[in-house]
Amino acid sequence: MAASAALRAQVAAKWQESFNRLNRTEPGISGLTNYSHAWNLAREALRPMDISDPKAKPPGFSLEQVRHACEVLNKCRRLPILLEVFTADVKESFVWINREIDAYMAQYQETNDPVVVSQLVLRLRQWYLAWKPKYPLGSHLTASYTLNFQTHLFAHLPPEFAAGFKALCDLTLIPSESILPAQHAFLPSTSSPLATAMSTDMSSPSQLQTQIHTPTLFSAFDTLGLIDRYDSLLASVGYTFISAHISSTCARQWTKPVLPELRKWMTDVIVPWLVVGYAPGCKSAEEARGMLQGVGSRFDFWVNKCVCDLRTEEIFDIIIDYPESAGALEDLKECLQRVDQRAALVSALRKAQRKRLLHPAAETKVILSQYVATIRCLRIVDPPGVLLYKVADPIRRYLRDRPDTIRAIVANLVGDDDDGGEALLDDSEPVQPLQTAEVEDYTEPNWEPEPIDAGRDFRLNKPSDIISTLVSIYDSKDLFVKELQVMLAQRLLGVRDEEGVERERRNIEILKIRFGEAALQVCEVMLRDMTDSKRIDQHVQTQKPSIVHPTIISKQFWPSLDSSTDIVMPGQFQTLQEAYAKEFMTFKPDKRLKWLPHLGTVDLELELADRVVVATVPALEAAFIELFSESARWTVDDLRARVGAVERPAALKALLTWVDLGVLKEENEGEFILLETAEEGGHARSRPTAPVMAMEEPPIVSSQEQEMAQIQVYWKFIEGMLTNLGPMSLDRVHGMLKLAPDYDRTMDQLAGLLEAARREGMLVVRDGLWRLNK
Amino acid sequence: MKVTVKQWHPVAQWRWDMGDDHTPDEEGDVCGICRVPYEGCCPACKMPGDDCPLMWGQCTHVFHMHCVLKWTNTAASKGLCPMDRRPWSAVPCLLSSSVAFAEHRSFLVTADRKVAR
Repeated sequence: MAASAALRAQVAAKWQESFNRLNRTEPGISGLTNYSHAWNLAREALRPMDISDPKAKPPGFSLEQVRHACEVLNKCRRLPILLEVFTADVKESFVWINREIDAYMAQYQETNDPVVVSQLVLRLRQWYLAWKPKYPLGSHLTASYTLNFQTHLFAHLPPEFAAGFKALCDLTLIPSESILPAQHAFLPSTSSPLATAMSTDMSSPSQLQTQIHTPTLFSAFDTLGLIDRYDSLLASVGYTFISAHISSTCARQWTKPVLPELRKWMTDVIVPWLVVGYAPGCKSAEEARGMLQGVGSRFDFWVNKCVCDLRTEEIFDIIIDYPESAGALEDLKECLQRVDQRAALVSALRKAQRKRLLHPAAETKVILSQYVATIRCLRIVDPPGVLLYKVADPIRRYLRDRPDTIRAIVANLVGDDDDGGEALLDDSEPVQPLQTAEVEDYTEPNWEPEPIDAGRDFRLNKPSDIISTLVSIYDSKDLFVKELQVMLAQRLLGVRDEEGVERERRNIEILKIRFGEAALQVCEVMLRDMTDSKRIDQHVQTQKPSIVHPTIISKQFWPSLDSSTDIVMPGQFQTLQEAYAKEFMTFKPDKRLKWLPHLGTVDLELELADRVVVATVPALEAAFIELFSESARWTVDDLRARVGAVERPAALKALLTWVDLGVLKEENEGEFILLETAEEGGHARSRPTAPVMAMEEPPIVSSQEQEMAQIQVYWKFIEGMLTNLGPMSLDRVHGMLKLAPDYDRTMDQLAGLLEAARREGMLVVRDGLWRLNK
Repeated sequence: MKVTVKQWHPVAQWRWDMGDDHTPDEEGDVCGICRVPYEGCCPACKMPGDDCPLMWGQCTHVFHMHCVLKWTNTAASKGLCPMDRRPWSAVPCLLSSSVAFAEHRSFLVTADRKVAR
């Protein structure tokens, strides 16, 4: 019982305490009554109201009344309880809102009209405002209410709302894009999804504009907490819009950088939208900037990424268009600094090259010029050259496998583009010596570490001039020098005037700077032979005038001149030759001349019965026509027997030259007759007075053929050692060959020979090891 | 038909007149000192021909002039021909083309070859 007494006492004390709290110090129970009034009043004032019910009226309490009631409640320390009750009321009353949401969403499902969503949003805002405690009950109450309201709202919003919300946001961007209705007509009818959305959904844009007032809508979003919740959705709307704009305005616009314009566009179009969406109610530009910092940089990044993607996709064509496309490259450079898509650029370019450039249908010349353009372009985009190294590698490997690469490069070097292909080098490029890979110099004050994404061996290909880069496709520059000699020989034997020689000399002077004096010594001798010939000829002419003006060459310094067609010049040619040789002997008593009769050109005048034919022809043609002056009918074989070792096809070709000129005619198979009088019809091509050039390139054995001839000498040794000892590196092959008799090649030359053998499919090389191709 | 040659631009190689006309097609001989063909130039020279002439010895051996002068200027040479160790004395250039000398030389060359075999 003692316990129950204690319990009773405790309960009594509690009751007394509660009573005191509620009654405070009022006399009797008046305090209690006051409290109960205040509670009822406050509860009524806060109770959520069904605004869809027209009969519902807001409780008409004055501000003073409510404040007084709250003071009373506060004194009784009952405010937290009030808040709890209010929260429960909100939860209970939310069914009214749910009902409306369902109705609106059903309508939206039916019409798919974003305007419905906007109506829903505005309506929700009304609900929110209607329920919001209007009395100054402390910020805690308001915040707690907002949180509660949003929680219930988000809990009930169906998934479809997100789609509707997105559609709605899409619409908010359009009016700003097309402030003038007239612009609608212009708006890209292209692929822009927004444009199509507009043309279908918005039958009357002005009406829609009135329906959707962006600032109101966004402030509603903000009030309801939709912006935070659907942040990514909102951003994606912006992103899509920007992407569409960029792909419609910037695609294939390469002449000048588009980024500055895009930035201006962003300021004019996107930023106002962002301000409404992300910085509502900001007072000043400063404030807005502060609020937009995060989201703004995200959008800026997106612009860069879009441009970067676009240019990456177009990169191959941009390179083709260079230098007209310099603007695009500037853009790309700037974008790549913000967006890390270098790897994507490399793989896109490599893919495009594989598909469009590195295939048999592309001419070597084209590949080379594209390669050079690539070098130039990627130097703009990425000065350290990491990208270039990665992109250039497949091209270089491909070019190395092409048989005519060297020839194409050299032809370009000496400006020998027969069909006017553009020179790989422009004049602005300073002529400088070839650069070779050098050891890294760590003491250099400007030393920089390798870029982070550089591949191995990267330093070996550091930026150098175009020619060095081209020459470095091959292991040694020897091959180039040799090809250069062959081409120079061909051209020198082809030119007939002083200017031609001068031009070659200028070329060689320039090339000397690149390849070094020593490498081009041979070319120097060839050029001197030309001037010497001229001088000797002048002297000989003063002694005994002759119509013969020979080019006298130094055998050791000219590429092998194909001597298989060693012909004997008949008739008057023989006499002319001998006379000249005799004069030469008196001028240079210690030297003699050995004629290379298959080379050289002859200016002829044929006096026929009814016409005169003037022609400039190669020696073989001249020899044949001379024979025809002996007899008017010859068979090919007889002619060949007279002039000596001539291949039948070569002889036929020479004869056909005359047939084309209308001087000869093939009567029977392999039998030609002289047409003393021109034939009617048949060969009307003969132009009696016009001098005809029947010239062709002098038959000089290309350096490749020479190499093949040379490798035959060593082939047995190489084949033997590769069979017995397995794959070997270049220097081991070289070392072994040194044991062979008469082996006097340098490593570079051997590399050239092996390369030639590889082209012929006799050898293969992998990882620097040569092996037999089986 | 009458064929008139108005201009002719043939191509010819020059060779040193070695007096042995019978092997026109053969690869030219090489200088016994530098092993470079006579029609090439000695290692010290850049231009062949008149800038790097040949020098004939009484012993009929022929070298690039620069090569053999360099040799005879060394003390070790003792003024002997590097091929046969006979005293080196040069034949005046013009004489080299004279028929007499050529005959003399071809005789000796044949004799040399016989010895070599």
